[in-house]
Amino acid sequence: MTTTQSRGGTVAASSAPPPARGGTTVHRPPLLPRLRKHWWSYVFLIPMILLFGAFTVWPMIASWWYAFFDWDGVGAATDWVGLGNFTEVLGNEMFWQAFWNSFLFSVVAICVEMPLALLFAILLNNHRLRGRDLYRLALFLPVVATTAVVGIVFAVLFDPAGGVVNDTLTGLGLIDRPINFLGSTTTALPTLMGIDLWKGFGITLIYWLAALQTVPKEIYEASRIDGANSGQQLRYVTLPMLTPIAIVILLLVFQRSLNTFDLVQATTQGGPVRSTDVVPTYIYRYAFDPFIQAPRYGFACAAGVVFGLLTLVITLMQAPLLRHRYKAGAA
Amino acid sequence: MIRTRRTLHWAAAMTALALAAAGCNLVGTGSDVAPTGAGVTITVALVPDPPGAGAFYREQFDAFQAANPGITVKVIENPSDQQLSAIELMFQQGSPPDVFRAQDNGMDRMLERGWVAPLDTYVTEEFIGRFPEGSMEPATSGLHRDGALMSLPLVWGDWSALRVFIYNQAILKKNGFDGPPKTWSELETMATAITKNGGGKTFGYSPGAATAPAVEMLANTAVPYSITAQGIDFRTGKAATADPGLVEAVELHRRMQAADVMMPGWESWDGSRAFTEFAAGNLAMYANAPWNVAEIRKLNPEIQMGVTTIPVPDSGRGAYTALPQSFGPLWGMSAKSKHPQEAWKVMDFLSSKKFHEAYYKTFGTFTALEDAWKEQASKNPDQKALLDVAEQTLRRAPNPKLADEGGRAILTAREAKPELRHIEAAVAAIVGDKPFLPVAKDLDKKIETLIDQTIAASDGKASRKDITFAGWDPLKPYSPEQ
Repeated sequence: MTTTQSRGGTVAASSAPPPARGGTTVHRPPLLPRLRKHWWSYVFLIPMILLFGAFTVWPMIASWWYAFFDWDGVGAATDWVGLGNFTEVLGNEMFWQAFWNSFLFSVVAICVEMPLALLFAILLNNHRLRGRDLYRLALFLPVVATTAVVGIVFAVLFDPAGGVVNDTLTGLGLIDRPINFLGSTTTALPTLMGIDLWKGFGITLIYWLAALQTVPKEIYEASRIDGANSGQQLRYVTLPMLTPIAIVILLLVFQRSLNTFDLVQATTQGGPVRSTDVVPTYIYRYAFDPFIQAPRYGFACAAGVVFGLLTLVITLMQAPLLRHRYKAGAA
Repeated sequence: MIRTRRTLHWAAAMTALALAAAGCNLVGTGSDVAPTGAGVTITVALVPDPPGAGAFYREQFDAFQAANPGITVKVIENPSDQQLSAIELMFQQGSPPDVFRAQDNGMDRMLERGWVAPLDTYVTEEFIGRFPEGSMEPATSGLHRDGALMSLPLVWGDWSALRVFIYNQAILKKNGFDGPPKTWSELETMATAITKNGGGKTFGYSPGAATAPAVEMLANTAVPYSITAQGIDFRTGKAATADPGLVEAVELHRRMQAADVMMPGWESWDGSRAFTEFAAGNLAMYANAPWNVAEIRKLNPEIQMGVTTIPVPDSGRGAYTALPQSFGPLWGMSAKSKHPQEAWKVMDFLSSKKFHEAYYKTFGTFTALEDAWKEQASKNPDQKALLDVAEQTLRRAPNPKLADEGGRAILTAREAKPELRHIEAAVAAIVGDKPFLPVAKDLDKKIETLIDQTIAASDGKASRKDITFAGWDPLKPYSPEQ
């Protein structure tokens, strides 16, 4: 008989080994007795279920429903337009521009932020590094900084007229004339991506640091006995062992970066000339822009649904590759 | 032991249910309870704008409460960008405000939903007499819809429409200029020289904010206001974004942008940045709304600031700044209020001379009651300059929204599509250094199509006539009899 212990005490006891996938059927007690046995646990779940239903499930279902109406957000939605909103979204050049920008945010987060954060995590995971907690704190601070404040601070720093960055670059003779970081259609998006990377870096770093804790020390010791140097340990121990968690981190970073909103809204509001517009700011504009006579909630919902589906498709496209990597890592 | 455990289970269950109930209450309507004492609570939804308005309104409502025992005023402050959505949400949730701020188009938005109470039954001759003579006429007040008074104003009608040219006398003098530019080419020449001599620290000109509002302000000296506001020439009833006056206003800014004359970074400025830069002495000239003047003076009391009329095209003025209505609507009373009499008392207070005097004293804004500020304003050099510019540049103009239902339907349809207005295309032309005319022509085609569609869908209620005022000369005051 095997018994699993956890902080909460004995949580599972079984005399049989876990069944293999596609193996023999395991006889479990009927549902009702099991529910009765743990009824108070389910009672504790009720508030969470209610809140989750009210604030996550219901808005999601409602947005799908409203997407089929020409609805301004007031009263019952009655003006059924079928797929009209979806057709308009899919045919709207500005939506695709915003989607492309959102996608670029994800590309930068995955291709630049993730490897860079891993590199820093490995460095900061070194027990011989003095002051590593201080470095971790410094790198994590931007995560807890308010985005609106971050936006204002960077706008001041990057100001082409008297901003510290431009003054420094000009003073050092690196540039002839100030760069209009947030005001030019060519530099505004890369600038925001840089700020987003800086702000989100700490959380990705924490993911990696947590992942690194899962690599057993014994394996490092064994590899050292086998004569592996630090580079070989990284190549043949650390990275393969991190692969399953790396896939989870990748999906988390992908989702987070694809939904960048507050930074763009606080700094450029999608401008200049929509060059930094991302899908969340696009949706926000149609739902809440104070300058339109009537908000287009139905259309905004349709844009949200399309965006959600596209995100899902991109995520699923990664699945075969990720599954392969996961199996390779797990093996 | 078993009993203790069972008791614990029940306690856990009750706690969980209590938490669940608390969670449910988050999405419920709740009820407004008077903060102090018994009596009636009137909820006022407003925007804490300009800076310091939150404290100002609280102070004023405290005075109101002292004078009206039994009425408690509960203030709900909404950010300006979300004010309309927030009010709509309050109505949707079944806890509407009794009095709310929804200015200009926002008032029509609330009106369409049936949430605005007509005020005619409450107003008296004494009340109407507080406002300038003739300003509360239903046809031109801007506060009436279909003959019924639906809203009350806060600021002077001219204040809302007025646009001024603000310049730094010291910078102009330093660069060898005796006075402000009178024409667009003078503006271009002077701005170029000042930026060139400024060495990257002082700049000649800025279009004001990320949406380049100065384009519209300059264009309004060349073309009828309806072209910049709606993309429609009210003299012909046809789309006219490609009018040479508007095109040239955009091209002027495009040239200055391409030549690095304008202060860099304006492409991401908010509405407060221009006056901040001007007050700091970094910006020599710009056009904007009159409230900028008080803000500049607050930031830099010693600045040598001049306020004058906006430069006109080299070929001469083609239009005056339009005054399409006496006032911009601002305060509305809820049609769902459970305490309309008390709500009206608050509305009445917001239109009292005492309140308007306090508002003018605190913010320097010219309010709807001229008696509250005119005498003092004429003694203040900055404010006197604003009055002079208003006198010189504002003229009555036709307003199809006030004229009839058809005009309102067409213009509301146009306003529901903000992408058809020139603003985004103009900024794209300026920033991207691309010609504006082809884009303007394309916008005109779309506006024409929209007008035709709206007329076709109106069951005969709307026609081109509703947006056509053939006898209107934008260089002369318009009267509804024309």
